[in-house]
Amino acid sequence: MQRLLFMFVTALLALLAVPVAAQEIGAGPHVAITLDAETRTPAAGQNVTLAFVSKPNKGWHGYWKNPGDAGVETKLTWTLPEGVTAGALRYPVPERLLIAGLMNYVYAEPFAQLVDLTIPAGLAPGTRLPIKVTMDYLVCTEEVCVPETQDFSTELTVGDGAVSAAKRAAYDGYRRAIPRPLNAGATWSVTDGAFQLVVPFPGGAAAREGYFYPLTNGAIDYAAPQLVSRRGDLLVVETKAAGGKGVSGPVEGVLSLRGAGGFVVTAQQGAAAAMPAGEAEGAGWATALWAFGGAVLGGLLLNIMPCVFPILSLKALSLARAGGTETQARSEALAYTAGVVLVCVALGAVLLGLRAAGASAGWAFQLQDPRVIGLLLLLTIAIALNLAGLFEVATPGVVNRMAAEGSGGAFATGALAAFIATPCTGPFMGAALGAALLLPAAGALAVFAGLGLGLALPFLLLGFVPALRRLLPRPGAWMETFRHLMAVPMFATALALAWVLGRQAGVGGMTLGLAAALLLGCALWWAGRRQARGAERAWLPALPVIALALVTAGLVRQAPAEAKGAEAVAGAEPFSEERLAVLAKEGRPVFAYFTADWCLTCKVNEKAVIETAAVKDALEAKNVAVLVGDWTDGDPALGRFIEQHNRAGVPLYLWYRPGGGAPEVLPQLLTQDMLVRRTRA
Amino acid sequence: MTKWMFAGMAAVALAATPGTARAPVTGQTAGNFALTDMSGKTVKLSDYRGKTVVLEWNNPGCPFVQKHYNSGNMQKTQAAARADGVVWLTINSGAPGKQGHMTPAEAQAFVAKAKAQPTDYLLDPKGVVGKGYDAKTTPHMYIVNGAGNLVYQGGIDDKPTADAADIAGARNHVLAALAEIKAGKPVSVAETRPYGCSVKYAS
Repeated sequence: MQRLLFMFVTALLALLAVPVAAQEIGAGPHVAITLDAETRTPAAGQNVTLAFVSKPNKGWHGYWKNPGDAGVETKLTWTLPEGVTAGALRYPVPERLLIAGLMNYVYAEPFAQLVDLTIPAGLAPGTRLPIKVTMDYLVCTEEVCVPETQDFSTELTVGDGAVSAAKRAAYDGYRRAIPRPLNAGATWSVTDGAFQLVVPFPGGAAAREGYFYPLTNGAIDYAAPQLVSRRGDLLVVETKAAGGKGVSGPVEGVLSLRGAGGFVVTAQQGAAAAMPAGEAEGAGWATALWAFGGAVLGGLLLNIMPCVFPILSLKALSLARAGGTETQARSEALAYTAGVVLVCVALGAVLLGLRAAGASAGWAFQLQDPRVIGLLLLLTIAIALNLAGLFEVATPGVVNRMAAEGSGGAFATGALAAFIATPCTGPFMGAALGAALLLPAAGALAVFAGLGLGLALPFLLLGFVPALRRLLPRPGAWMETFRHLMAVPMFATALALAWVLGRQAGVGGMTLGLAAALLLGCALWWAGRRQARGAERAWLPALPVIALALVTAGLVRQAPAEAKGAEAVAGAEPFSEERLAVLAKEGRPVFAYFTADWCLTCKVNEKAVIETAAVKDALEAKNVAVLVGDWTDGDPALGRFIEQHNRAGVPLYLWYRPGGGAPEVLPQLLTQDMLVRRTRA
Repeated sequence: MTKWMFAGMAAVALAATPGTARAPVTGQTAGNFALTDMSGKTVKLSDYRGKTVVLEWNNPGCPFVQKHYNSGNMQKTQAAARADGVVWLTINSGAPGKQGHMTPAEAQAFVAKAKAQPTDYLLDPKGVVGKGYDAKTTPHMYIVNGAGNLVYQGGIDDKPTADAADIAGARNHVLAALAEIKAGKPVSVAETRPYGCSVKYAS
């Protein structure tokens, strides 16, 4: 009876507990927002920047201007004093959240949205300006959504517009997160359901991984993966076009590039750029078959790669030695093939999983990271030293034992071979595999399976064609010599990788990589000597040194962008407002221009106009001071100066006549004549 | 022999491609489906061939759905549509364990409490029909004409907010489209951007 009562009470409590837990979202705003002003004493006739500094609660997120597949845009309702106007809300670059196949552009981390208020000229200092604003926004967890409203008010007093250093630093931080305008003449096109965005972007500018966040609705399928690739001076984004009637007219959005920042891009409708072979969605039967065939060939070639050879030579040996029945040979060959294909398909599935999770698929970008190249260098050196006989890897012994265990052993050998082969495929097959990831899931997996098939092919043939087995040379001393010889192409590969590293990370980076290789070599030598002596756990003391080598390789950093050629004009100095003031006092005319590595128009103007002999001579002759502002890293101080003269960012060309005063803003498409004429004026 | 093997394998691999959800195309045939309603009966879209059918994706826990139900706007729209002989199917694609998922009993209770006026309330816990129609938000509205073609897909009105005060000044796309269909005219605004919470699919 007591037990029954106990059970009943427990059940009742459980029933009661469930609904409470389900509604545990808590009351009140789920985003802590404060309205802050850069200065409380703005000057009349100027702008003051306000910031909505937001911190979503843990597990909650706010939304970007375009919320994605679901959600709504934030709405502001201002109550402003007479004459004061508020600009549009400026959003920092968002993050992606893909839930159940629906894409959301959100902010899960603290963020700040900026708004510029314009204070009318003619207001007397001391005038009070009460500012009120109501913000209606949506904040959600992955489960529920709550539309919220918050009211803010602040009071500004017309004054001198002075900004404290602390505030300046904070707001410069907020400004860094806001995407910059990229005036590049981008174009978009849709072909067979595939959307392509082509953005002129200098090939020399650093950028890794990218994503295009669209502001225009109805252009792209938000949840579809994007492939961002670079072809010369173009950056191309390929993804799936949205279903439905599509859009006509300009497509606007934010291009977020790791290493370069966020850029606002407005693309006009244009013609499709030539696609590379084996690309976008909708690739039919034929392309998939070609990709499959190519992968089989690639797999076949992998067999002679020094990475894989040691494993395979042992396998071949065991096959030849086995001398078992036909069926045994065949089943072993099939088991081996199964092992290889399975591991390759698993690798493909992992990459497809990454793609589906919203990561942009692009092996080309990974290989641009000097640390990846550094690690590959270490791997190649290790394999080369192993082939040279400096040390032994325990695995071949294991493989030997496994090889003797029939089909099960053959399967394991196959899996191991595929596993070892994949780092080798990286540098050589990167582009092909990257293209395979663009195919629909089944097609991509078929390509990976083809790779496995090609890799396993020789042994498949050996298992099924007894004549071939008889052709296998008898094991002997020649195998050792061959193995030593294979070390040579391996060292050559290491050399090539060191060269790539040098190009990416400069001489310093290459030296760091080679130092890591030296450390690794010493560690392996030590281990090899201990092995030769028959010492127990030969590897143990070498492991910390190997770890050190890996850390050293990880320290390699991308080299700063190549120096901008020889200084364009004799005596060109970096821009700063102080220098500008000094030069104005000296009575020199000043030509100030602002550029960035990622601004193609800037680079074109520099090559075609500013750095030409005619212009250089004219500027020198009239003692024109040249100031260059490099906005590549988005320096907010420069950004503020640029915005004052041109909301559209760079390029910006300013001509200051002798004696100071307001500058003349030159057109973004410069001609030599424009500059030469002004020197004469 | 190996060539055929490769071709065969490729064929099998490609044939096994899972059907990717593609948005239904306005103007083309709307996909048929069969779902269980809140009374346990099986209901097919083809049962209503010859009549105009409105599909409404619903999640009672979503503030945007509540905007239209608590204010009575959705019920009024449903009543107006049904008065003209239009069939109204409310569909719930919430997966078990997610917000808005309802058992048949809960669905009946919801319809009774909200005094909703659909012809039927269908349950799609596996999300098959939702994904087939590429339903993204709740509410998300679709209109299928008597010939079985999709003539409207998108939001219920043109003010994407959670504020019921915005309903009065908004253009109700569903009522407007139904009026045009009744008058024999083509639907002038056939696609709009739907707004609301995301449909809580399983994955």
